[in-house]
Amino acid sequence: MQTHPQPSDLDTLANASFSALLTALSRPGQIQILPTAGEAGIIAALLDHECRVACADPRLLPQVMQTGALVAELPEADHVFLGKMTDPSQLDHVKTGSDLYPDAGATVVINVSLDTGPRLRLSGPGIDGTVTLCVDGLPDGFWSARDNLIRYPMGFDLFLQDGAQVMGLPRSTTVEVL
Amino acid sequence: MAYVATRGGARAIEQAERLFRAEMGEIDPARVNEIRTAMPYLIDRVMGEASLYDEDIAALALAQTGGELYEAVLLLRAWRTTQPRLQVAQPVQQNALFTHRRISAAFKDIPGGQLLGPTLDYSHRILASDVLTGTPFVPVPVDAAAQPAPATQPSVAAWQAANDLVDLPEPDLTRPDDIPDITREPVLFPSKRAHTLQSLARADTGGTLALGYAAMRGYGKAHPTVNELRLAEAEVMVKHPKGTEFSAGRVKVSQAEVVSKSGEKLSLGFAATLGWNEVKCISAATLDLNSKGAAKGSATEEEFFLYHTEGVESSGFCIHFKLPHYVTFQSSLDAMRDANAKRQAQPQDQEPAE
Amino acid sequence: MSLSSLTKPWQPMSYGFLDASAKREIRRKMLKAVAVPGCQMPYASREVPMARGWGTGGLQVSLTLINPKTCVKVIDQGADDSVNAASIRRFLADVSGAPTTLDTLQADLIQSRHRIPEEKLAAHQTLVLQVPNPEPLRSVQPNMSIARQMHADADYGRMWLQLYEQIVRSGRVMQGASYPAMVNGRHVMTPSPIPRWDVPKLHMAQHLTILSAGREKRIFAVPPFTRVEPLVFDDVPYKVEDHGDLTCNRSGARGFFMNEIPLPDGSSTHEISDSDYGVKTIRARDGETVEMGATWYNNGQMEDAQ
Repeated sequence: MQTHPQPSDLDTLANASFSALLTALSRPGQIQILPTAGEAGIIAALLDHECRVACADPRLLPQVMQTGALVAELPEADHVFLGKMTDPSQLDHVKTGSDLYPDAGATVVINVSLDTGPRLRLSGPGIDGTVTLCVDGLPDGFWSARDNLIRYPMGFDLFLQDGAQVMGLPRSTTVEVL
Repeated sequence: MAYVATRGGARAIEQAERLFRAEMGEIDPARVNEIRTAMPYLIDRVMGEASLYDEDIAALALAQTGGELYEAVLLLRAWRTTQPRLQVAQPVQQNALFTHRRISAAFKDIPGGQLLGPTLDYSHRILASDVLTGTPFVPVPVDAAAQPAPATQPSVAAWQAANDLVDLPEPDLTRPDDIPDITREPVLFPSKRAHTLQSLARADTGGTLALGYAAMRGYGKAHPTVNELRLAEAEVMVKHPKGTEFSAGRVKVSQAEVVSKSGEKLSLGFAATLGWNEVKCISAATLDLNSKGAAKGSATEEEFFLYHTEGVESSGFCIHFKLPHYVTFQSSLDAMRDANAKRQAQPQDQEPAE
Repeated sequence: MSLSSLTKPWQPMSYGFLDASAKREIRRKMLKAVAVPGCQMPYASREVPMARGWGTGGLQVSLTLINPKTCVKVIDQGADDSVNAASIRRFLADVSGAPTTLDTLQADLIQSRHRIPEEKLAAHQTLVLQVPNPEPLRSVQPNMSIARQMHADADYGRMWLQLYEQIVRSGRVMQGASYPAMVNGRHVMTPSPIPRWDVPKLHMAQHLTILSAGREKRIFAVPPFTRVEPLVFDDVPYKVEDHGDLTCNRSGARGFFMNEIPLPDGSSTHEISDSDYGVKTIRARDGETVEMGATWYNNGQMEDAQ
């Protein structure tokens, strides 16, 4: 081969966004920076016609549908965009997979404010001991609902997003509200 | 520098490949064309195992690999990986196939008739050695039949179903876009029906024969009767974005239905593949016939035969044993030596009795 | 809409060889693998221009992660110059334009078969291990569906029994490489055929490790700071290869995993397996200024993990 193939702008966006997402999920509690604010990078990195997506945020629907992903209800969705969340009972219907196929648990993206709000202490894989941080903008009862729904290795994985900032919370992370 | 990091690894592999290619010399369109026209059955086999229907590209793969079949199939599969999927074609209906050959061993005659078509089945396998001494082999022209055979033929199983001899599978109404696809997702067990048939369609011919033959010899519960074997061409019907349906061309396909008595009824095994490949279809249909209720770990169990007839995976794993394994070997040696040292240190009278 | 709008302008090859949909599928599975450490996630595993069993799983992960700035190192049996490592390195560079390195410390992405480098990996580095057989239970249960159910039930009794029987018969666990380990206290994982020497390097590490089996179509991960505990009985401790006192005859490096080289007189000599570390040792000995990273083992002993 004489020349190297060049990445397109979309390749570059998807690659850099995924790098942020993978690091975020590998190191819960550490904030990563996406190449663009909002969900565009996450959508470019992960979604296509092989995905079923639940989208509570109408802003995102056109972007999601352009990927060819099927728009689905929460219990069928493997990717869930909740936008700004008001009702913790939305979590009740998120797919958690099975012991046989934990990978069927959904990936859930929620808009929050990072660095303000209630203090949380995280522990689990990816965390050196414990880490303490603040997350605001989640409805009351969110953390206990998450705690009740995750039956490790069954569960769902969260990306908490604030502009271009993203934080990952895999199902393996234990969250204590301080 | 006292120590050179690259001790020739990069140069060695480049020269080794050159050595392989030097044997075959220049590859030009004429060579590719000659392979395509002279070896249609080889092309068919390679296209079927590659799950990629393009005679020119298959011929090129054969030219480029010097006829190393596993390499040719891998080359095509890897190329296939890079191609976008534009659309899922309409399902192909058995009775709409443009049929060249269709025979049944189950009945003396069948609706539509036994249609021998092109075959070497009844030829005497004698080398045309005169060719080597300068007398070309010129095939004797075919005498056309008085009446051409009908282009399409009903399926034998349909007649049997009408006579309540066999239960046909329920028509699968899955939307074409939702049909599970083994090129897009892994096969998990129990396997989806679409995955099973797709895996068999691109299975290694030799591997499928080996396991199918084991089933035929008695390692399977059901003895196959060839209900129908068909070589045909299928129209690939696709939809233009504007909505018009049109044929993108014809592809050669082969399919086999085998049956065996199962209580009051016949049970049915089925396989189909791209290209004309009778041995593979009969073997694969035999495995399909035997898979229901097969014991875990037996050659006729779905998981067993689907995994072990995947030619790209099995051939790749087989040749990977040529790669250096000295780290794992060293690790094992260490465990063995330590165990031996422990045994030597043990007083003799503590040896366990035989 | 027209037929041409369904596809993109023709180019000989996508960036990083894999098309965008293949990469997205691998990304989705990598996230799940990280979320459930040590659990094997099925993925489609496209064919790539190398034979199955030759690192196609690792390659697909590397091709997904790579970008023109990713500095890549590829090793096989610890060596950068091993023929298949050279082949994979050339392919990765050709299809991505990414720079390559032999220096562990310089690499962002390390694809490896059968070894973890001796220098400690840092938080920004990702290790991609090629995996021939992702199923640690294969030796007690060859059927993948049954083995999967055993993982779902955390039913590892037969695995323990096999280890116990080896101890009874041979006085020790006879597993060489691929020593099974419990990950995050839940899933038993094969660390790929790395020697026992390397398994403790995965425990509470700084870096992310992705393990990928292309032929068997499974991907799994060990995130940083994750417990990776070799299966051992309380009274029979885990034992790495007895290489702590060996010295490399070429570089003089001592206390690392070695290759044994048989000699005609019936004896043998040793060469350090991590070829780049050997080179650095020689350069340092010859008076060059060389940056030597901290190593997991010092004086032949693994430092105490947390």
